Amino acid sequence: MWGITASRFVLQGCWNFSHLQCSLSRIQNLSLTACKNTVVVERWWKVPLSKEGRPPRLYARRHKVYRLVEDTKHKGEDKMELILTQTVPKLGGRGDTVFVKKSVGRNTLLPQGLAVYPSQENKDTFTEERRLLKEGRPEDRIQTRTGQLTTEFLKQSKLEVGMHTSIQYSLTKEIVCRQLLRKLGVVVPTHALTLPEEPITDLGEYWCDVTVNGLETVRVPMSVVPFVEPRQLRLMKKQKEQSDSE
Amino acid sequence: MPLHKYSPKIWEALKLQKGIYARLPQHYLRSLQDTTPPTPVHWKPLGVKYRANPNTGQRERVQDVPIPIYYPPESQDGLWGGEGWISGFRYAKNDKLSTRLRKTWKPQLFKRELYSEILDQKFNVTVTARTLDLIDAAFGFDFYILKTPKQELNSKFGMDLKRAMLLRLAQKDKDLYPNDPDRREIYNRYKNFEIPEGEAEWVGLTLEEAVEKQRLLEKKDPEPLYNGLVKKLVNELTIRKLSEPTIVEKK
Repeated sequence: MWGITASRFVLQGCWNFSHLQCSLSRIQNLSLTACKNTVVVERWWKVPLSKEGRPPRLYARRHKVYRLVEDTKHKGEDKMELILTQTVPKLGGRGDTVFVKKSVGRNTLLPQGLAVYPSQENKDTFTEERRLLKEGRPEDRIQTRTGQLTTEFLKQSKLEVGMHTSIQYSLTKEIVCRQLLRKLGVVVPTHALTLPEEPITDLGEYWCDVTVNGLETVRVPMSVVPFVEPRQLRLMKKQKEQSDSE
Repeated sequence: MPLHKYSPKIWEALKLQKGIYARLPQHYLRSLQDTTPPTPVHWKPLGVKYRANPNTGQRERVQDVPIPIYYPPESQDGLWGGEGWISGFRYAKNDKLSTRLRKTWKPQLFKRELYSEILDQKFNVTVTARTLDLIDAAFGFDFYILKTPKQELNSKFGMDLKRAMLLRLAQKDKDLYPNDPDRREIYNRYKNFEIPEGEAEWVGLTLEEAVEKQRLLEKKDPEPLYNGLVKKLVNELTIRKLSEPTIVEKK
């Protein structure tokens, strides 16, 4: 008698503590393979119309036969809109509206406070901040992230401008802007560029000032060299390589 | 021949009209009567009363027939976002003439740590992907809990959270970061949801809990008869003592 009851209790204990845990985990593992997300189903058989204001007549067994219409899991994940509060590499700077994968937004950006939801209040505050940055007094204005990157790039770079020696002319702003775009890939409008006072008509070492966003000015060294045709330049490069290898 | 005075179908409704049920606060009773159906999650409603028959083009009356969904007890401890189990049948190979097989569609559940600003606490919640989407659509966990009505939230845990949040908002001077001016702005964000403290206490209670709360509010310990009688006797004695003529001897 005692033995029987004891064994029963032992079994119960097992069930309650260890067995339950492992069985639960096994069930979960099994279900993970065949699990579905929000499923949408519909009936195979039409339900007869009931009178208006009456509940539908669902007596037949066949009205419990469903067909899977769609599973939202396999829909493909669309992206999530967020507003950044700080500079995030590869995404953008403060106040930028970005579209990121939901997992990135939920697990990284939002918990770490790098971004906020694009609610109306947040949108208003950030547009107001942007407006102040653009229109406010120059002391209050701060360089944007892309502006900072541009200045850093310009500080390290050098400009080489080819000049035809056969004819007499002086370098204009337009020519330098075009050279900046071609050689460095930086778009500089003419009003953001400053050249030395005296006209550049000769070869030599000069400088040019580039103002980024009307805030910071970077002095880029500019060397004016005799113009060489691209084809000839390539030839010269090839010859140099050959001589180096020999 | 009727066996009862009232049909058994309305017994539940009649119960609320007498006894302690009738003395429950009005706003709580009103919240019980709200029986709007939840938004369909697992089926697509037609949304119209009449439509053209796709085959004949004839106008015909149509009806939305909801699919019965089972909400297991575990759903009350998490936030499933209105999802539940669909238990029914399917046809093998999706062929109407083939075998009918039992099938239960269950939602995929995740464990997520969700942070509530108002309560300043993290919760390990069982959620579905739909819940996470709804939270994003509401711009935050607190907004989701506060905005979503009871039948959509469909969880006891969610309603408990809602009650706690509403109570905190109601007692903003005491509970909601009284010494932290930076975080006081949290209140400004949620002040649209604020309701009086007396109402907030009753939000999301089940009928049993509400009745127990009402019972405790009304409960009064019976006073022993002895206390009242002693007081009365002492009163009587003092009156008699005062009314007795005192003899003052002349000297």
